[in-house]
Amino acid sequence: MSSISQTDWSETLKFWPRHNEALYKRLETKHSWLETSGDGAPADPLEHEMVLNIGPQHPATHGVLRCVVKLDGETIERSVLDIGYLHRGIEKIAENKTYQEFMPYTDRMDYLQPYANNVAWCLAVEKLAAIEVPERAQWIRMMMSELARISAHLIWMGVGLMDAGAVSVFLWTFQYREDIYAIFDEVAGARLTVSHSRIGGVATDVNETGIGLIKDFTDRFPEAVESWEKLLNRNRIWIDRNVGIGQMSADDVVRMGLTGPNLRGSGVAHDIRRFEPYLKYDEVDFIIPIRTEGDALARYFVRLEEMKESVKIIRQCLEKLKTVKGPVRTDDAKRAYPNKDEVYYSMEGLIHDFMYTDTGVAPPKGAATYHAIEAAKGELGFYLQSDGTGYPWRARMNSPSFTNLQGLEHLLEGAHMGDMVILIGTVDPVLGEADK
Amino acid sequence: MADSPKTPKAPSTLPFDFVPQEPETAVANNPHAKATTQVADVVDALKAHFDQSVRDLVVYAGEHTVLVDREAIVEVCRFLSEEKGFSYLADLGGIDRFTEEERYEVFYNLVNIEGGKRIRITIRVEEDTMTAPTVTGIFPAANWNERECYDMFGITFDGHPDMRRMYMPEDFEYHPLRKEFPLLGVPGSLPLPPQSPTGELTGDPFPAAHGHKPPKSFQEVKSEEDND
Repeated sequence: MSSISQTDWSETLKFWPRHNEALYKRLETKHSWLETSGDGAPADPLEHEMVLNIGPQHPATHGVLRCVVKLDGETIERSVLDIGYLHRGIEKIAENKTYQEFMPYTDRMDYLQPYANNVAWCLAVEKLAAIEVPERAQWIRMMMSELARISAHLIWMGVGLMDAGAVSVFLWTFQYREDIYAIFDEVAGARLTVSHSRIGGVATDVNETGIGLIKDFTDRFPEAVESWEKLLNRNRIWIDRNVGIGQMSADDVVRMGLTGPNLRGSGVAHDIRRFEPYLKYDEVDFIIPIRTEGDALARYFVRLEEMKESVKIIRQCLEKLKTVKGPVRTDDAKRAYPNKDEVYYSMEGLIHDFMYTDTGVAPPKGAATYHAIEAAKGELGFYLQSDGTGYPWRARMNSPSFTNLQGLEHLLEGAHMGDMVILIGTVDPVLGEADK
Repeated sequence: MADSPKTPKAPSTLPFDFVPQEPETAVANNPHAKATTQVADVVDALKAHFDQSVRDLVVYAGEHTVLVDREAIVEVCRFLSEEKGFSYLADLGGIDRFTEEERYEVFYNLVNIEGGKRIRITIRVEEDTMTAPTVTGIFPAANWNERECYDMFGITFDGHPDMRRMYMPEDFEYHPLRKEFPLLGVPGSLPLPPQSPTGELTGDPFPAAHGHKPPKSFQEVKSEEDND
């Protein structure tokens, strides 16, 4: 028995006292109190300063986000966001895994769109080790990443509307998310944590059933978006709750480093798919939706348009997959997993499979690259450094939710308390990714 | 293998040895190289403007990594932001170069949105000083990233408006992304939630492995309310 269990912790431990102290110091106030007026009657609480802790377990915070705000009546005077309640040390874990081994962990980062995270990681490793990916695999990756974008935006929309008080939209959007789950189940073999992408390609080709499901989805989905637009675009409550809320100018969003729809909602035309095209984004026809108002409503329109554009991209991918045939993983045993047929029926295949699991791909010593993709939340990039072994020396993750949350701290200041959940919804953070 | 074992290949041709490349060949050799990282002209301008401060340039996969002096980083960032249009800070983070001289490194991933360019600047931080100048004055976006860097590596940023930890609580005394920090963590370094509803805080992440067995619900002593 170690000495740890024999120590009497109850005497020495308090739960993170210095942490809370630092938070309140940042807020420049700690207590909330009500002064009584001269005649002893209690003062109006709305006319006095108040400190409010929201989260980490508030349902409207979209995860374990803790907001500590100083209120002046109904207005948020100062806000401090406290994140890290979901911190798993994912970068440290990555340093202790082979490149392929770490891939399933990326499913758990932005858990609303695991497929795009898989692709982001694999592309980063492929750039580091200069691995070429067969064309068919690229089209499959692109199609599935766009499906992942739609599924992430569906959650944003359902939850965002629920924040504003409309529960029914959540049920409608989840119907279509369920369809996407079915597609992932068919294509990748798992509904949520897909882990379908492999370094050098994808695990399996898409079969006819999968193609049929995706085609069916692209046929039905645009009508659904149109019906939601009919409900929401002229909806008095939804517009009033969003227009002019959380406004940020183009200069501000660039200075604050916001990414994704938050950037494009303020009129900055920056999308990694155009900025530095990866996969086959330079060969498909789509537009990058931009709005210039910079408020919550603009971001709503941007995301809604993005879903429609994603459908457009998926249709082109389906068209391409009819003609682009061939392998879905690079045929180089030192750089990608061999085909399962090879593993089961040849000795070399088995050895290669074993070696790839044991050591995996070993990029040159001292090499360092950064590769980013446009995830649903914004620029998701990995900065990898190799020491010549099968383990990354440093795996830095640039997560869009983290960057966007920083902007939220500023958006909250000066806003009304009642708009707070709308603001969190419009920034669309996922704490699994922000907390790493 | 065509080569006989007596005449080994020159090290530069082996794939597991890194050889700095010319930008053109680096792009040709990497199928994922991007046009945005072709910033030779910016690097030349940096060299011309900061003669002494630019210490090294590495090109790999078409990406330019410029190593500059720690003291010059604020001026370099200002120059890139104001003169060259790199006004968007995409990423900032630390690197532990364990066992090397000037052990820590901080990298700045800067983007020129209009010009469609991306460049990476790095600085080195010595283990005995552990400080770097902050760039929050030029890029407010660096605020949280510098806090994260401080949390994970212990590098403090001079002049930072809010140098608190980002993820770990303030009560934590270690910096987890340093190479000497164990993957399992340090048992007892943080108070953990109690093992049972009425229990005390614990410092042991693996109580069951150390002989502590919380009572099962059917073993719990009934309270007075239950007896009523």
